[in-house]
Amino acid sequence: MSQITIFNDVPQLPPDALFDIKKRLSQDTRPLKVDLGIGAYRDNSGKPWVLPSVQSAEEKLKKDPNYNHEYLPITGLPTFTSGAARIIFGEDYDQERTISIQSISGTGALHIAAKFIEKFLPNKTVYLSNPTWPNHKAIFEGQNLKTAEYPYWDAATKSLQLNEFIQTIETAPEGSIFLLHACAHNPTGLDPNKEQWSQILDTISKKNHIVLFDSAYQGFATGDLDRDAFAVRLGLAKLQNVAPVVVCQSFAKNVGMYGERVGCFHLVIPNQSSEINKKVKTALNSQLAKIVRSEVSNPPAYGSKIVATILNDPELTKQWHTDMITMSSRISEMRHKLRDHLVELGTPGNWDHIVNQCGMFSFTALTPEMVQRLEQYHAIYMVSSGRASIAGLNEGNVLHVAKAIDEVVRHFATNNPKL
Amino acid sequence: MTRFKSTSLLNKIESAPPDRILGLTDIFNKDANPKKVNLTVGIYKDNFGKVATFPSVKRAQDLVNKNYQSFQSLTYLPINGNQDYSKNVLDFIWNDSCQGLAHNYLLNDKINFVQTLSGTGAVALAAKFLSKFISKTIWVPNYSWSNHLNIFKENGFQYIKPYNYYDDSNGTISVDEWLSNLKLNRSQTDITSPQCILLHACCHNPTGIDPTKEQWKTIINTIYELNMVPIIDMAYQGLESGNLIDDAYLLRTCLSKGDWPNGLYLCQSFAKNMGLYGERVGSLSIVTPLNSNSNTNLNIDSQLKPIIRSFYSSPPGYGSHVANQVLLNKDLKLQWFNDVQNMVNRLKIIRLNLFNNLKWHDLIDFERQHGMFYFTRFTLKQVHHLRNKYAIYLTDDGRLSLSGINDSNIDYVSEALYEVAKL
Repeated sequence: MSQITIFNDVPQLPPDALFDIKKRLSQDTRPLKVDLGIGAYRDNSGKPWVLPSVQSAEEKLKKDPNYNHEYLPITGLPTFTSGAARIIFGEDYDQERTISIQSISGTGALHIAAKFIEKFLPNKTVYLSNPTWPNHKAIFEGQNLKTAEYPYWDAATKSLQLNEFIQTIETAPEGSIFLLHACAHNPTGLDPNKEQWSQILDTISKKNHIVLFDSAYQGFATGDLDRDAFAVRLGLAKLQNVAPVVVCQSFAKNVGMYGERVGCFHLVIPNQSSEINKKVKTALNSQLAKIVRSEVSNPPAYGSKIVATILNDPELTKQWHTDMITMSSRISEMRHKLRDHLVELGTPGNWDHIVNQCGMFSFTALTPEMVQRLEQYHAIYMVSSGRASIAGLNEGNVLHVAKAIDEVVRHFATNNPKL
Repeated sequence: MTRFKSTSLLNKIESAPPDRILGLTDIFNKDANPKKVNLTVGIYKDNFGKVATFPSVKRAQDLVNKNYQSFQSLTYLPINGNQDYSKNVLDFIWNDSCQGLAHNYLLNDKINFVQTLSGTGAVALAAKFLSKFISKTIWVPNYSWSNHLNIFKENGFQYIKPYNYYDDSNGTISVDEWLSNLKLNRSQTDITSPQCILLHACCHNPTGIDPTKEQWKTIINTIYELNMVPIIDMAYQGLESGNLIDDAYLLRTCLSKGDWPNGLYLCQSFAKNMGLYGERVGSLSIVTPLNSNSNTNLNIDSQLKPIIRSFYSSPPGYGSHVANQVLLNKDLKLQWFNDVQNMVNRLKIIRLNLFNNLKWHDLIDFERQHGMFYFTRFTLKQVHHLRNKYAIYLTDDGRLSLSGINDSNIDYVSEALYEVAKL
């Protein structure tokens, strides 16, 4: 009856690419190393940056005599979830149709969405952009859902494959689920323009598909919350009489809450009679609470209290808006510096896409072997897809990075006629 | 509008019942009765009815706040959690609490450790892992924490079986029945395929009654013989005796038994004994046999990570920084031990005071009655009567959270309990 060997067949899985980069980086002893891997903001000295609005909110929070560690409700801190809904949907959002549940950042929100779909909308395929954040696939497939891809990025022209994208929306079985990046598409940094969004969402509406927006970078892309919420709000308007809309919202980047895991799952139900809206909302809310209860009981308090403090204090909100501009404009400046250096160096290829893309990342179009060489010879770390986190650049390393890119591109130039 | 194709499925979704514990707090909050008393949730309140932060935790918090940047608060933790926290919790649980019995496992890296979202997160992760690789059958005590069933059902177990734990007729534990129950079942099933069993480490929730240490030995021997896989839920370490170390006796009993071929699983939480409830601080440990393959622990680790990555990527930081400070700093750790002792002393005083009013002897049966809860054995009707007539809230199973009782409400609560007991 010996079971000594029972674990021996548990296969070892490859390490998570991003967290593995972090590990290799910490073991690298070279003096000038550059982390362009994980999507976290760094200031001009390469350090994590605690937003001034966050610092003030933390002070305010801890001075509150009522501050304690009591459990939050299962669905989260109400002042946080309502504030989160206002940020993404606008001040006048329809509360009667909106269910907001605090989540363990964006991943947690997507995971709730996946569990919810598995339970109540089974057999629906979830369409993901090609490429997309690798964890998207893992999150949905982890709940036994089928995923498929829609064309998004044309590597040759470094632009949106709009026609192919639209075609996939049209040919997908009616009522499918489309995961859209609300802004600052990860990893390409390329978003549809307003007209393109309109066309995409109209087609989705025509086919009665359900949209799931992943909103991880609102305010981080352009510095303007409303501008970055354009697609979500347009989607809500176009789909309000058609289908539910899910929004998975993260405050990791735009408030810098990374490790505190602050996010929100929103489900906006389509408009029916007030009576039905109320009934559906109550039922859905109870089902979502059950899901949360089965995995974490109730969400972590600390980070959500900070964000709620910012969202419910006009002074702190104002400061936060300034903080987002600080971050987005520094990133934009780095995009320009990197592009300009590459142009000055005469690096083969066109590098304008670096400044045309937005958000945290640039999809550099560097090949996996170039990325590997960057790490091996220049101590520059990024994921093998060629996605570079621009926030890792600063005045002190941008020239080094440009020169390194120049070297690896030339090294492989003969093998890569595209560049 | 005729275009509701995508919504038709949603309209069919029925309301899930509200959570049996946390849902009640919502109802309580809306109750207008000025005398209302909330005895539902397992949160420790002081004699003023306040959820006070323990002095040790407060000091740890101040340290974290002061050295904010150096704790890299806010930056992402690794998928399996805060490494300093992991080191110190591993040390506290498997060194301090096990008094040397886990020494060889630590020495040989035979313990997989993950920071989790408190006890629930640990149980959920263990459930996902076990149901995928070891067994889809789990035995759960009847009664148990109401959320246990929900967690196991939602995270991969197909067969959730109750074992007889509590005898309603006389308010005692039915160990004999429990074990003969298991033996009978295992004689009818393939004993070579393991089955999981959930055990409450101490302060059984909701009954507040634990087996004696002698009984535990018999229980552990039996489940070992029956090729079962223990999942220990240790949510109340320290709340039984007031001594954190003493209360880990079930862990020590399991370790004394020897290697558990399919692993020993510990789901542990600092929610109650550090009062870090809402910060979600806990851990999952998996102890594998000493002679397991050298890759085994790496493989397990590699399987746990994708589960976490697809659930929530990485755990929240703040609570782990605070707990780590408590464990790291000798002074704070000592103070923490005192804080836990003080909490337990107050719970015992509440029991004594209630006993003085009610003369219910099991209230002060300290040999068997442990922790934050007293199990009234009230029927649902009595519980509802207490709620409707007196605005005193217990969970539906009759569980009473003792720390909600204080000097200003004890007479009112005693009177109500006395009246309702007569029904």
